[in-house]
Amino acid sequence: MLPSGNGWFRRTVLLFVVVLCGTAGLYAEQRSGSIYWAPENATVTGHEVDRLLNFIFLLTVSVFVLTQAVYIFYLVKYRRRDGVKAHYFHGNTKLEIIWTAIPAAIFIGLVIYSNELWERIHRPPPPNALQVGISSYQFGWDFRYAGADGSLAMPDPEKISMENKFGLAEGDPAAADDFTSAELVIPVGRPVQILLNSRDVIHSFYVPEFRLYQDAVPGRTISWVWFETIRKGEFQLACSQLCGQGHYNMNARIRVVDEAEFEKWYREKSAKAQAAAAPPKIAENPTKTTL
Amino acid sequence: MTAATALVHETKHGEHAKASPATARFGMLIFLASEAMLFAGLIGGYIVLRISRGGEWPPAGAPDIGVTWPLSSLNLVMIVNSGVLIASSFLFHLAEGSIKKRSGSGIFWLFATLVAGTIFLVVQAWEWSHLRHEGLWFNTHGIYGSCFFVTTGFHGLHVIIGLCLILWCLLRQVSGRCYRPGHTTSLDNVGLYWHFVDVVWIVVFTSLYVI
Amino acid sequence: MSALTAESAREVPSPSVHRSGFIRTYLWTYDHKMIGLQYLWTALAFLFIGGGLALIFRYQLAWPNTVVPVVGHFLPASAAVDGVIIPQGYNMMVTMHATVMVFFVVMPMLIGAFGNYLIPLQIGAGDMAFPLLNELSYWLYVLSGFVLIGAFFAPGGAPGTGWTAYAPLSSVAAYNGTRVGQSLWGIAIFINGLSSIAGATNYITTIVNMRAPGMKMFRLPLPVWSLFITAILLVLAVPVLSAAAAMLFSDLNFGTSFFRPAGGGQPLLWQHLFWFFGHPEVYIMILPGMGLASEIISVSSRKPIFGYAAMVWAMVAIAFLGFVVWGHHMFVSGMNLTLSAAFSVSTMFIAVPSAIKTFNWLGTVWRGSIHFTTAMCFALAFVSMFVIGGLSGIFMASTPIDLFVHHTYFIVAHIHYVLFGGSIFAIFGSLYFWFPKMFGRMLSEPLGKLHFLLTFVFFNLAFFPMHNLGLAGMMRRISDPTIYEHLRQLQPLNQLATIGAIGLGFTTFVFLYNVIRSLRHGAHAPANPWHSNTLEWTVPSPPGHGNFPVTPTVYHGPYEYSVPGMEKDFLPQNEPAPAEARLHSH
Ligand code: HEA
Ligand code: HEA
Ligand code: CUA
Ligand SMILES: [Cu+2]
Repeated sequence: MLPSGNGWFRRTVLLFVVVLCGTAGLYAEQRSGSIYWAPENATVTGHEVDRLLNFIFLLTVSVFVLTQAVYIFYLVKYRRRDGVKAHYFHGNTKLEIIWTAIPAAIFIGLVIYSNELWERIHRPPPPNALQVGISSYQFGWDFRYAGADGSLAMPDPEKISMENKFGLAEGDPAAADDFTSAELVIPVGRPVQILLNSRDVIHSFYVPEFRLYQDAVPGRTISWVWFETIRKGEFQLACSQLCGQGHYNMNARIRVVDEAEFEKWYREKSAKAQAAAAPPKIAENPTKTTL
Repeated sequence: MTAATALVHETKHGEHAKASPATARFGMLIFLASEAMLFAGLIGGYIVLRISRGGEWPPAGAPDIGVTWPLSSLNLVMIVNSGVLIASSFLFHLAEGSIKKRSGSGIFWLFATLVAGTIFLVVQAWEWSHLRHEGLWFNTHGIYGSCFFVTTGFHGLHVIIGLCLILWCLLRQVSGRCYRPGHTTSLDNVGLYWHFVDVVWIVVFTSLYVI
Repeated sequence: MSALTAESAREVPSPSVHRSGFIRTYLWTYDHKMIGLQYLWTALAFLFIGGGLALIFRYQLAWPNTVVPVVGHFLPASAAVDGVIIPQGYNMMVTMHATVMVFFVVMPMLIGAFGNYLIPLQIGAGDMAFPLLNELSYWLYVLSGFVLIGAFFAPGGAPGTGWTAYAPLSSVAAYNGTRVGQSLWGIAIFINGLSSIAGATNYITTIVNMRAPGMKMFRLPLPVWSLFITAILLVLAVPVLSAAAAMLFSDLNFGTSFFRPAGGGQPLLWQHLFWFFGHPEVYIMILPGMGLASEIISVSSRKPIFGYAAMVWAMVAIAFLGFVVWGHHMFVSGMNLTLSAAFSVSTMFIAVPSAIKTFNWLGTVWRGSIHFTTAMCFALAFVSMFVIGGLSGIFMASTPIDLFVHHTYFIVAHIHYVLFGGSIFAIFGSLYFWFPKMFGRMLSEPLGKLHFLLTFVFFNLAFFPMHNLGLAGMMRRISDPTIYEHLRQLQPLNQLATIGAIGLGFTTFVFLYNVIRSLRHGAHAPANPWHSNTLEWTVPSPPGHGNFPVTPTVYHGPYEYSVPGMEKDFLPQNEPAPAEARLHSH
C-alpha cells in the first residue's frame, strides 16, 4: 500500500536544472544586459539598495541551501527501510527556542538595516535639488520645470482639472515662466526632487535603474521622492500601477545628460515656452517678459 | 468549552443532531462578531475620511444633522427615534421574560417590539427623504452624504432583517405556541441579533450625529 | 456541475445512507461530507477556468499580439480582436484569473472542501453544528460564482482593475469603462463573503462545542487546528472587505465619493480596507495548507509531529500578527513613510512563526521512516516551495527593496510560490491522501507520481524565471512587455514561463484522468490505507451517514506513531494505549 520512491527527487532536480539552463542558454547571445539580475544602477541611493539586495540575497540563499540540504539529506537518509522503525520523538523545547530566537535576531538586524536605509533615502532633499513637477494621467506624463526664474510653482491637487492640468494657483508668479516637457531631462550628478500628482487614477513613477517606485495618488502631491544620478543614459519611465486600458503603454523617456547639455536644453525650452506664452503675457504682466 | 461539554448527541441513522441551545447561542455570537467587523469597517472608514479631510464638518452648505444645543426639531426626532429602537430591545426582553417565566405567551410584547422597530424604520425613511429634500443625498456633499447614507442604509437593512426574524418568531408563537420555557433557542438568538442591531445603532448614532 | 457530482458519487457505496432523492442527496444535502464534495467539484471546475485564463494571457506575454492558438477566435470582443488579445482584455483576464483562483479555487478547496469534510470526522462529530447553514454557505458560493462569471457578459466586459481593484480606477466608471462588470465583481465578493462567514461561524462553533469525549483542544489534529484559526481570521477579516465592496458598489452606482478625492474621499482608504482583509486573507489561504501538509508529513514519516504545540502556537501567532502587517502592501503607495517602516518591522516578525513551522517540518522527517507516497511528495514539495515563496517575501518586507521590486514580476513569483507551490501543492497532496476516504477508491500511484513530477518541474519552470523578470524590471499587469526597450531582451524568460505554464495546464489533465479512472476502476480503499491515527480512518471509506456508529472516545493525541513497545507503528486516537506502550505526553 505504501510504495517507496527512490531517487525521484534527484531526478526531478536534475531535469529541472537541465531544462532551465538549456532553454535560457539558447537565447544567451540575444541579450544586451543581464536578464537574470537587476539592470545597472544609476543613482546614489540605488547603490545602497543594491548592497542591501545582495545582502538579503546572500542571506536567503544561505537559508534556502541550508534548510534544503538538511531536508533532502533527511529525506534520503530516512527513507523507509525494511525493519527500521521511526524514532518516537515529540519535540524539544530547547531546539524550539533556538530556532525561534535565531531567525528573530536575524530579522531584527535586517529590519534595522533596512529602515535605516529607508530613512536615508527619504531624508529631505538638499536645497540645490532640481525640482520637477510630474503630472500623470490616463495615459501619459507631463513634466514641468521651473523655467527662467528657477522657482517651480507648487501644485494644489484640489485645483487639478482639465483646464488646469497642474493644479496651479491663478496668477502665481512662480508659475508664469514654468515650462513643460514630454520627456524627463535631468543633469547627471545633481539631486532631483519630483513632485508627483495624478489627474485621475493612481499611477506610479517607476524606473528600475533608479531603484525607485512611487505611486502618484490623485488628490495629493507626493514630494518626498528625490534622487541623484551617477551616470548618463537614456531610461524609460514606466507607469507600474494598473491604471486602465492604456496602462501597458504609459511611459516616457528619461534622459540623464551632463550639466552643459542640460543647461542648453533648459534654456532652449525655457525660451520657447516664453515665446509661446509671450503675447498674452505682455498684456497681463509686461515686466515679466523683460526677464 | 472543554471536551466535557462536548455534545455529540447520539446520531441516529438518517437524522441529524440539532445544535443544543448553548451551541446555537455560541454560533450566533461568532456571527455577530463578524457583523461587528462589518460596521467597524464602515465606521472606521468614516472616521478616517473625516479626519483626513479636516476643515469644517459638516461641509459648508450641507444640512446639519449633528446634535447641537439647543436641539433642532430634526435632532429631537432622531433622539426620540433612537429611544424607540432602544425601547424595542427592552420590549423584546419582556417577551422573552414572559415566556420563560410562564407569565404569558409573549405575543403582546413581540408585537410591541415589531411595532417599535417599524416606527424606527419609518422615521428613518422619513429622515432620508427629508434630507434629500434639503439637498443631502448619496451623491451630494461628498463624503458627508456618502458616509451618512451608506452607514445608516446598512443599519436599516439590519433592522429590516431583524424585523423579519421577529415577525417569524411572532407567527410561530401565534400559530403554535412554539416557545415554552426551555424551548426558546431561536427566540433567544433573534433576541441577541436584535440587541446587537440596537448597540450598533448607538455607535452609529454617536459617530454620525453626535461627534 | 451537478452532472459531474452525480456521476462521481454514483460509484460510492454508501452503507448506511437512507435512500433519498437525487436532489436531497447531491444538491440540497445537510451532510457535511457531501457538502465538502460539492465544494470540491465546484472548485475544481473553477480551477480550470482560472487556469485557462492564465494560459491565455501567458500566451500573450510570450508571443505578444499574435493569434492565441485554439481559443483565440472564441474569445469575446471585449477581450480579443481577431483572436489577438487586446490590452483591456488582458487586464480583464488577469483580474478574473486572480479573483477566481483566490475566492473560487483555493479558499473553497481548502476551507470549503477539506474543512467541511474533515472537521466533523477528525473531531469525532456526526456533522457540523449547523448543517442548514453549511449547505446555504455552499449555494451562496455557487451564486457568487455565477455573478462573477456573469461579469464577462456585462456591457464593457469583465472588470480589468486587478484583483486588488484599486480605487479610484475601480470606483469611477469613466476611468475603468466597466461599471457593470466592476459592480458585479463587488456583488460577487460580497456574496462570497457571506458564504465564507457562514462557513467560518459553523466551523468555530463545531470545533469548540462538538468534539468527541476526550478530544481536548491540544489533541486536535493539526488540520483542524489550522482550519479553526483560519475560521477566526475569516470571521474578522472578510466583513471588512464586504464593507469596502459595498462602498465601491455605492461609488460606482450611487455617486458617493468614498474613494473620490473631489468629494473629499481617499483613494488610499480602499487600499487600507482591502489589505486589512487582504493580508489575513493570504494566511487564510496558507494555514489550512500547512495543517494538511503537517498531517501528511507526520503520517508518511511514521513519526509524531516535531513540536505539536509549537506548530499550534506558531499558527496562533501568524493569525494575530496577520492583522498588523497589511501596510507592507502599501510601502510605496503614498502612505506615511514612518508607517511603512513600522509595518516592515511587524512583517519581519510574522516570518518568525513561519520559520518555526519550517524547522518543525524538518524535525518531523528527521529519523522518520519516510514513505514517498504521492501525497507525501506533494506535502514535502509544499515545504520547499513555501520556503522559496517565504524567502522572496523577506525581500519585499525590507522597505528599500520593495522600493525597487514593488509591482514587478518578483511579486508575481512570490504570489505563485506561496499560492501554487504552497496552497495548491497542499491541495493536491491532500486529495491524494483523503481521496480514498472520500470515494472509497485509491488513486493510481504511478499516475500520481507522474502528476507530481510534471507539476513540480513545470511549476518551477513557469514561475522561477519570474523572479528574474521582476529584478530585471518587468512590471506586473502589462499586456505587452515588448513595448519597453529594456524588457524586450527578457522575452526568452517570458517564453520559458509560458512553456512551463502550458505544461502545468496539460499536467492537470493527468490528474483529472487519474481521478476519473480511479472513481471507476481504482482499487477499493480499506478504512485506513495509510495507517493513520485520526478518527476519520476508524470508519469505513467512505464513512456512512452520521459518520460514527458510536461516538468515539479519544485517549491521546493524533500523532502517536512508532510508539516504542508497540507492535504496530500507529495508535488510532480512539484506541487506548496498550499497557506495554511507552507513550509520551498528551
Ligand atoms: C499564501 C499566501 C501568502 C503567504 C503565506 C505570504 C507570506 C509572506 N508574504 Fe506575501 N503576498 C501574497 C501571498 C502570500 N504571502 C500575495 C498574494 C501578495 C500580492 C498581492 C498583490 O499585490 O496582488 C503578497 C505580497 C507581499 C508583499 C507586498 C509586495 C508588494 O506588493 O510590493 C510583501 C511585502 O512585505 C509580502 C511579504 C510576505 C512575507 C514576509 C511573508 C512571510 O509570511 C513568509 C515567511 C516564510 C519564510 C521566511 C520562509 C521560511 C522560513 C525560514 C526557512 C526561516 C529562516 C529565514 C530567514 C532567517 C530569512 N507579501
Ligand atoms: C491561488 C492562486 C493562483 C493560482 C493557482 C495561479 C495560477 C497561475 N497563474 Fe496566477 N495569479 C494569482 C493567483 C494564482 N495564480 C494572483 C492573486 C495574481 C495577481 C493578479 C493581479 O495582478 O491582480 C496572479 C497573476 C498572475 C500573473 C501576472 C499577470 C500580470 O500581472 O500581468 C501571471 C502571469 O504569468 C499568472 C500566471 C499563472 C499561471 C500560468 C498559473 C498556472 O498555475 C495555471 C495552470 C493551469 C491550470 C492548473 C488549469 C489547466 C486548465 C486547462 C489546461 C484548461 C485549458 C482551458 C482553456 C485554455 C480554456 N498569474
Ligand atoms: Cu498609469 Cu499605469
Ligand atoms: Cu501581505
